[in-house]
Amino acid sequence: MNRETRTPLKLDDAELRSRRAYFEINDEDLERLASLRAFGQTHLDDIIESFYRFILEHHESRVFFADDTSVQRVKRLQKEYFLGLFSGVLDVRYVENRLRVGATHERIGMPLRIYLGAYALYLRLLLVKLGEEYEPSLAGMHFRSVQKLVYFDMSLAVDTYIASYVETLGRHQAAIRELSTPCIRVYDRVLLLPLVGTIDTQRAQQIMETVLVRVADEQARVVIVDIAGVPVVDTKVADHLLKTTAALRLIGAESILTGISPHVARTIVQLGVDISAMYTKSRLADGIELALSIVGKRITQVAP
Amino acid sequence: MKGQGSIPILRVGSTLLATVHVELYDTVAEAFQQDVLLAIERTGAVGLIVDISGLETVDSYVARVLADTGRMARLMGADTVLCGMRPEVAATLIRMGYAMEGVKTALNVDDGLARLGASTGPLGKGRPA
Amino acid sequence: MSREVLSSVVMPIAGEDDVVLVRRRVRDLAQAQGFDAFATAAVTTAASELARNALVHGKGGRATVRELNEDGRAGLSIQFQDQGPGIADLERALAGGYSTARSLGLGLSGARRLVDEFDIDSAPGRGTMASITKWKRLY
Ligand SMILES: Nc1ncnc2c1ncn2[C@@H]1O[C@H](COP(=O)(O)OP(=O)(O)OP(=O)(O)O)[C@@H](O)[C@H]1O
Ligand SMILES: [Mg+2]
Repeated sequence: MNRETRTPLKLDDAELRSRRAYFEINDEDLERLASLRAFGQTHLDDIIESFYRFILEHHESRVFFADDTSVQRVKRLQKEYFLGLFSGVLDVRYVENRLRVGATHERIGMPLRIYLGAYALYLRLLLVKLGEEYEPSLAGMHFRSVQKLVYFDMSLAVDTYIASYVETLGRHQAAIRELSTPCIRVYDRVLLLPLVGTIDTQRAQQIMETVLVRVADEQARVVIVDIAGVPVVDTKVADHLLKTTAALRLIGAESILTGISPHVARTIVQLGVDISAMYTKSRLADGIELALSIVGKRITQVAP
Repeated sequence: MKGQGSIPILRVGSTLLATVHVELYDTVAEAFQQDVLLAIERTGAVGLIVDISGLETVDSYVARVLADTGRMARLMGADTVLCGMRPEVAATLIRMGYAMEGVKTALNVDDGLARLGASTGPLGKGRPA
Repeated sequence: MSREVLSSVVMPIAGEDDVVLVRRRVRDLAQAQGFDAFATAAVTTAASELARNALVHGKGGRATVRELNEDGRAGLSIQFQDQGPGIADLERALAGGYSTARSLGLGLSGARRLVDEFDIDSAPGRGTMASITKWKRLY
């Protein structure tokens, strides 16, 4: 087992305290659990065996324990987990251990429902063993303490899964964002931003921020915004483009709008959008030429 | 050159260069405006560069002081260029609906000086006698 | 969904220096929480606008700055309260371009556009309560 398994979640002292309070786990519970340590040791092997029989019986869970070595490894981890229930301590280290177990299961792609089913099984097995060993009222009290802690553990597992999903989502979104705002340097201090696809408010904001940062980093004087690949240019999109132009102007860069089709030109005029604040060109080539003239360069014909 | 405020104003040929590196709150902003105008009067500068690359937050009040200072300087014959606004400041102002129309801008002080162009020559050049 | 308050500080807004202090605190907390530069500038500027309004129009008041955590997501909320004259025409004040101070009247409407959650409660004679929340971006 990789000891370094990263947990996407951290729990500090305050959060631990409030969660403990919510699950009503008091010192009495922890003492009771510690007093059950011998009980836990006695039934350890038995319970772990039943646990794995269950897991291997069900197709949903079996697929995650394809080979023998992984079964052995996870068995060891489960023993650790099981004995941890009777440690009598509930501190940040305990939580870290629990989070790591959760992260491990999440990483191998085990669905949350399978994982939660295993907790339920633990509780059933423990209930039976406690009933066999203790008289009913005592067994009931023991079970309540165990149940509190197992539910507490379940809350950690759920949080681990959520945190990890959110992290993945964030990574994907960052990747999409990068792909959707490619900013190309076409010449010293001249950037080209070819926009493709629909532009909604969120994307428009991303585009503005990405371009502003690139312009500042490269100290670009001109940005050519090519909208040939934008299917619909309505009032909203035009407004976003104008805002980007205005923001670029504030940091000291000019913008040129290119790729304006007859259709888009017609829409813009019919919508009554005033884009006179922007340089506009129909063809990208003309935009590049204009951009170069702004930075003091010119494209000339040379003799063949 | 130092006025009442804490913002240094430097003279480069016929241009004044003010670097705003402290938070511009009310008294500082007003002193800054006053210092700039007095300096223009004293030197006959024809250009004013305000470097705001050190400003992390520009709210509507500060934006207005900056824009107004530029307009006042213009009235006194000094063309003004606002230089080095940070990306996040620009995005914030635009989202608030404050585009600072009519204010000249540049990426950095060098570009700002270039925008002022001819007026950076010897003091008094380009100014009616 | 659980929203937790990690810290809460009350700051007076009695003079122009206080506006600066509120702004600085908001900026520091936003940075400490890992907000990106754009989100930091947005929440700091919005706070600055509302603090200034509380001072100039509301005759002073206080700001409560809170660090939040919602399911692992960091946030910042600032509540501004004053006992001033209140805003008679709230709708108009929020629309933007309206000012009783011969200003541009972009403070309220601008602040609202810069944050994720915006709340305002004001009536003549009852003072004004404005509250903003900004969440750290997930990507
Ligand atoms: N805390 C407040 N108490 C009383 N009135 C307020 C308060 N905040 C805003 N107002 C009223 O709402 C109007 C609009 O506020 P807003 O911040 O948008 O503009 P402003 O403060 O007048 O100008 P700007 O913020 O652009 O410099 C104000 O002119 C004022 O009449
Ligand atoms: Mg205001």
